[in-house]
Amino acid sequence: MMTEAVKEFLCYRCNLKIKYDYYGKKPPFAKSIAIGEECYVIKDPFTSDVGIINLGSHCSVCQRSVCASGDCSIFYCKRFCLQCVQENIEEFPIEIRQEIKDKSLRQTNR
Amino acid sequence: MSDKYKDERHSRRHRPVVENERRFQESRSHGRTEQDETREFSFLRHKHSLNKIFFRSQDFIRRGSPEYDDFWLFVEKYETFQQKAKTKPQASSSCHLGDSSLGIPLQYDKTNRINISVQNKDVEDFLRKGRLADAEIAPELTVDRVKEFRNIFLYYLDFQQKQKFNKLKKVKSDQENLPIYQYKSEIVDMIRDNQVVVIAGDTGCGKSTQVPQYLLQAGFKKIACTQPRRIACVSLSKRVGYETLNEYGTDVAFQVRFEKTKTQNTKILFLTEGLLLRQMTSDSLLSMYDVIVIDEVHERHIHTDFLLGVLQCLIHHRSDVKVILMSATINIHLFSDYFHDAPVLKVPGRLYPIEMEFCPIIKDRDEKHGKLDPSPYLRIMQRIEKKYPKSERGDLLIFLSGLSEIMCIVNAAKMYAQETKSWIILPLHSALSVEEQEKVFDIAPPGVRKCIVSTNIAETSVTIDGVRFIVDSGKVKEMSFDSKYKMQRLEEFWISRASAEQRKGRAGRTGPGVCYRLYHEREYEAFQDYTTPEIKRVPLDSLVLQMISMGLPDPRKFPFIEAPSIESLENSVLYLKDQGALYPDESLTPIGLMLSKLPVDVVIGKMLIMSSIFHMIDPVLSIAAAMSVQSPFTSKINTDVDSMAARKSLESDNGDPFTLLNAFDEWIQVKADGMHTRKWCKRRGLEEQRFYEMTKLKKQFKDLLRDHGLLDKVEDQPQYLSSAERRQKHGERKRLGELKREKRKESKRRKVLKLDDEDYQISDGEDDDNNDEGSNDIKDLEFRLSHDLKQLQETSNQSRHFTLHDVNLLKIILSSGLYPQVSIADDCNTFKSTSEQAFHTKNKPFVLLHPTSVFSYKPELLHPKHDLEQGKHDPTDLKGHLSNKHELLTFVSILETNKPYLINTMRVPALQTVTLFSNYIDTNSTCTRMICDSWLEIVIPDEEEAQTIMSSIIQLRATWQNLLKLRLEDTFLAMESERKISPRARRLERTLASKLSEFLSSDVRYKLRRVLPAEMKNVYLGPDRLSEINTFSLKSTSVKESKPHPIKGGVQFNEYLTHGCLFDDGTASAVGDFTVNMQRHWTCPQCDVSMIVNLSERLEHEVMCQTNNITVTPAQLKAEEEEDKASQMNPLRKSYFCPDCDQQLHLTMTEILKHKKLHTSGPSN
Ligand SMILES: [Zn+2]
Ligand SMILES: [Zn+2]
Repeated sequence: MMTEAVKEFLCYRCNLKIKYDYYGKKPPFAKSIAIGEECYVIKDPFTSDVGIINLGSHCSVCQRSVCASGDCSIFYCKRFCLQCVQENIEEFPIEIRQEIKDKSLRQTNR
Repeated sequence: MSDKYKDERHSRRHRPVVENERRFQESRSHGRTEQDETREFSFLRHKHSLNKIFFRSQDFIRRGSPEYDDFWLFVEKYETFQQKAKTKPQASSSCHLGDSSLGIPLQYDKTNRINISVQNKDVEDFLRKGRLADAEIAPELTVDRVKEFRNIFLYYLDFQQKQKFNKLKKVKSDQENLPIYQYKSEIVDMIRDNQVVVIAGDTGCGKSTQVPQYLLQAGFKKIACTQPRRIACVSLSKRVGYETLNEYGTDVAFQVRFEKTKTQNTKILFLTEGLLLRQMTSDSLLSMYDVIVIDEVHERHIHTDFLLGVLQCLIHHRSDVKVILMSATINIHLFSDYFHDAPVLKVPGRLYPIEMEFCPIIKDRDEKHGKLDPSPYLRIMQRIEKKYPKSERGDLLIFLSGLSEIMCIVNAAKMYAQETKSWIILPLHSALSVEEQEKVFDIAPPGVRKCIVSTNIAETSVTIDGVRFIVDSGKVKEMSFDSKYKMQRLEEFWISRASAEQRKGRAGRTGPGVCYRLYHEREYEAFQDYTTPEIKRVPLDSLVLQMISMGLPDPRKFPFIEAPSIESLENSVLYLKDQGALYPDESLTPIGLMLSKLPVDVVIGKMLIMSSIFHMIDPVLSIAAAMSVQSPFTSKINTDVDSMAARKSLESDNGDPFTLLNAFDEWIQVKADGMHTRKWCKRRGLEEQRFYEMTKLKKQFKDLLRDHGLLDKVEDQPQYLSSAERRQKHGERKRLGELKREKRKESKRRKVLKLDDEDYQISDGEDDDNNDEGSNDIKDLEFRLSHDLKQLQETSNQSRHFTLHDVNLLKIILSSGLYPQVSIADDCNTFKSTSEQAFHTKNKPFVLLHPTSVFSYKPELLHPKHDLEQGKHDPTDLKGHLSNKHELLTFVSILETNKPYLINTMRVPALQTVTLFSNYIDTNSTCTRMICDSWLEIVIPDEEEAQTIMSSIIQLRATWQNLLKLRLEDTFLAMESERKISPRARRLERTLASKLSEFLSSDVRYKLRRVLPAEMKNVYLGPDRLSEINTFSLKSTSVKESKPHPIKGGVQFNEYLTHGCLFDDGTASAVGDFTVNMQRHWTCPQCDVSMIVNLSERLEHEVMCQTNNITVTPAQLKAEEEEDKASQMNPLRKSYFCPDCDQQLHLTMTEILKHKKLHTSGPSN
C-alpha cells in the first residue's frame, strides 16, 4: 500500500496528531517570525495571509514531544510537559505553582 | 503635510477633553506623580506614531487586516486591565531569587512565558536611537513606552497563537466525536482488503466528510467523491478542506459543471455524478483516480444508477481501483449484491429516540372530495400545546404532498395561530424564493414554536435543527414521465416506507422527538419499500446519447442496477433519431456527437448549436437559460391585480419564450439605468433570484460554446473607466465588503422571528419600501461588480429592436431544438372559452394552454388569421382555410396535473417550421399535397407555387445540413487552435440566411390540418401503383440514392422526402396528372446546367445537386479567399441582414448605421 514518511507531530499526552510543515526556530514561510524554542510549526491553515501555528515541541526535561495546549505543557523560558512540571513543581516560581494548582483543580471539577 | 500636523489635526476633534485635561495638568503641574502620568497616557492615542514604528516593516500583522483591528482591541483591553491592576497593591518582588535547578529564573516574569517574537527593523532602530529616521514620532512615546508596547505586541501574538491552536484542536476533537470515528480503522482495513465496499450510515454519522479524509490518511492520492447535487460538492470541499487544514490550499477541491477549484495538487476532488460520467468519455478507465467514492447512492438519481452500472464494468478492467458506495441505511443489499456481495459496514447515526403514533384520518361523511381537510393537522397542534409546556422548546415539521396542500394548511394554521399566539407558520417548498426558504432556519421567540409546512424537500435536502415534532401526511407528489407522449405528469402517491422512516428521523436530530403519522399502520405496511428510482421516471434521451457517445453501442444491454422499461429506452432512441442525433444504425451523427459533449439536454443543445450557425447567439442564450430555470413569473394565484397589470408591457404576442426574453432584457436595462431591480421585480411579481440564475447560466452556456469552438474567440475588450466610474466601482466594492461582513455576523446569530398580529415578519429584515437603497442589496452589488453592465445593456438593446425577420429567424432557431414539440389548434377554438382552448400534438390530442402562458389570456392570437383576400372562399374549401398565416404552437413540455397543459408555448409559422424540421415529408405527384411526419397536412392549391416551395425546402435543408456539417467539422478541428470559420462555411451561411429569409417571408396560401392516425392508413398509393406513376423517373434514377418506397409508394429521394406517394386530395386540378409527366426546359440554379425534365426528375436532380453544394468551383473558391482576406482585415465587420434591400450584407457597425440611413433618408426612387 502507498505509505510514505509523513512528517507528523504527535503529542504524547493528548495524542494530537498533525502533519507539520517545519521544525525549528525560524519558519521559512513567515520570515519575520522567530520562535524561542525548536518547535513544530504549520502554516496557519485558517487564513490566506502569512501566519503560523506553533503545535508544540519537546519537553526540555523528558524530551518527549508535547503539544502547546495548556493541558499538556507550559512554556516558561523552555517547554515543560505537565508531567515534568508536576514532578519538579518546587523548581518553578510561585506564580506557576499556583497556576498548575488551579488547573488541576479545574480539571477535577470538570 | 507633515506627520506632526496630521497628528494635531487628528487630536483637534477631541479638543474639549484634551483642553480640560491640559488645564487640569497645568493646575497641578508641580505635584505630578509617575502614576498620574501613566494613567493619562494611552497607546490608543498614539496609533499614528505606533503604526510607523510597528506596522511598516513586518508582514505578519498587516495594517488594515482583521488581525490588526483585533490587535488594537487587545491593546484597549490590556490598558483597562492595567489600570485596574494598578489600584491593587502590587506584590513587591524586588529581591532576586536566582535560577532553579531547571535553569529557569524563580523570579517570575511573564515575558518569559512567550516563545514568539517578530523581527522588526523600525522597532529595533527606535529602541536604539529613540527616534526614526524617516518619520516623526510623538514625543510622549519614550523608549520605555515603546518597549512596553513591544511587549503588548508579543502578548498579543502569544494570545493569538493560543486561539489558533485551540481552533485547531477543536477541529480534531470534533472529528473524533463523530460516530464514524469509531470505525476508522475498520473502514481503512476493509478498503485495503476489498475492491468494493458499501458504507451505510444515517444522516449525521459523518461519512461524507470523514471517509474521504480516512482515504487520504491511508495514502490514497487521487480520490474522487461524487455527489448528486452541485451545491454539496462545493460545501463538502470547503468543509473537508477546513478539516484537513487545507482551507486555502487546493489539496481538497471541487469540480462541477461550470466551475472548479481543482489543480494538479488536488488529492480529494468532490464532483457531481454527471461530471464523472462525462470524464469517462475521454478517460474511459478513469485512470486519473485511484479510489472512487459514490455518496448518497440510496437517492438513486439517474446518474447514480448509470454510474453504478459503469463502475460495475470498470472494476473488471481495473483491478487497482477502489470503489466505495456510501448510502443511508436504505436498501443496502441491493448495492452489495450488485457488486458481487461487496462487504457492508453499518455506522449508526446520531439519532435520539422517537415516539411514534399512527393517527389515521377518519374521513368525514360530508367532506368534499379532493380537498384537504386541515382539522387533523390543527388537532395535533392543539395536542402539542396541551401536552408540552411552552418552556420546552421544539418545533413542528409537517410533510405534505404539494403546493396547494401546503397553502391550504398554512392558511388554516395561521388562523388558528392568531388565536393561540403560540405558533409561527412557515411554508417550505422549492418554488419559494431563497430568502423565504431561509426563514425556516430563524428562531422563534420564547414560548412560540415554529410550524414548518413542507414538501419532501425537508426529507433530505433541507435539514432544520430543533425539530421535535413531525406530522407526516404520508403523501408525495412526484413527476412521472410518459415517454410515449413525452409528457410529464405530476401525481400524488403514498410515500415509500423508506421515506416514511426518513421523515420520522427528522424529529430526532437534536433531541428525543415525536412523530405523528396521519395514516393507518395497515397502510404503512402496504407502502412500497423504496421510492421509485429516477431512472424509471424521467426521459432517458440524454442518458442514451451519453451511453452511445461513451462507446456503449446498445443501451438496451446496459447492466442497470434496476432497468428502466424497455419502452422508455426505445422511445428515447427514436427521439434521438428524430432529432438527428443518431443515424438509423444508432451511431452518433455529427450533431449527436456535439450534443453529447454539451452537458445540457438535447433541445437546449440544439438551440445553442443553431444560434452559433445563424450568429444569433445572445437572445438564444437568454431564452435557453430562461427555459432551464424556474420561471421568474410567480403564479397568478399569488399575484395581485397591480402586478399583473405591471407585467403587461413584458408580455410578447409571440409567446412565452419571448416574454421571458423581454423580462430578462428589461431587468438588465433597469439595472443598467442604476435603478433598483429588487423593487422593480417585486412590483411585477417576479422572482429576482431567477434572473441572477439566468445570468449565470447564460454565461455558462457562452463558455460552453466557446470551449467547443462554436463562438468566436473575441478578446475581452479592456474596460476603459472614467475616474468617476472607477470611484464608483471602488465604492461599490467597499460597500460589498461591508455588507458581506455584516451578513456573516448576521448568519452566525440566527434571526429571531416576530409574532405579529397581521403577518409574520423577520424582526430585522428590511422592508423594501422603506429601505430601497439599492446599495444594501448584496446580490445587486456583486452583479454590478462582476458584469459589464454597459455591454449587457447593449446586447439586450439589440434584442429589443428585432425586425420581423429577426423574430422569425429566432423562432426557427428555437424550433430547430423544440421540433417535434409542436401542436396545432383545435378547429373549434374560436367558439370556445379561454380555458378550453385545445391543441393537439402528434400523439396527444386535446392539450390545454397553461394558465401562466401569454396565450391563455390572449387566445385570439392563436385563432386562424384570414389573409387579405378574405371572403374569396373557395367552395371546395371544406377542409380548413386557405391562408398564408397558419401557425403552430411549439412547447417545451407537456405537464399533466389535473389536465394536460402545454408549457412555455410560442407561435411559429406552420409551413416553414414543419417543412424544415419534419423527419418525413410525403407528397403527391404534383407536390400540392404534403403530409409531414405522418400527421400534419399542407395543401398548396397552386401547382407552380407548390413546386417552388418544394425546391426551396430541398435547397434550404441541404444547405443547412451541409453548413452544420462544415461548421461542426471546423469546430472539431479548431477545438484547440484558434477558432475559425472556413470561407466555404461562410458562403453557405450567407446562402442559407438569404434563402431562409425568402422562405420565411413567403406568402404562399395553403391549408393546414391534422391527419388522424386512422386516416393515415388511406393516404398512400402504396407500392402497387408505383410502376404506373413513375415510369419516367425510374429510368433515370438507377444510380442515385432515390429508390421506390416499399410501403408508401412513390420515390424516396433522400432520408426525408418521398415524392408521389400520396393520393391527390381531390381539390387538385384534373390536369395534374398530365403536367406531372410533362417534360420542360429547366436550368438548375445550383449547377447552372440546362436540361429537359419532368417534375420528379427535376426534384431528384435538385436533391442531388443541393446536397453537393458543399463543394465549390475553383472560381468560387478564389472569390471566397479574396473576401476572406478582406473581412479579416476588418474583423469588426459582421453579417447584417437588411430588410429593405432584402440582402445579407457584411458591414461594420458604423457601416450598418450608414446603410440604414440610406433607407430612411428620403424615398429612394
Ligand atoms: Zn497534548
Ligand atoms: Zn516532560
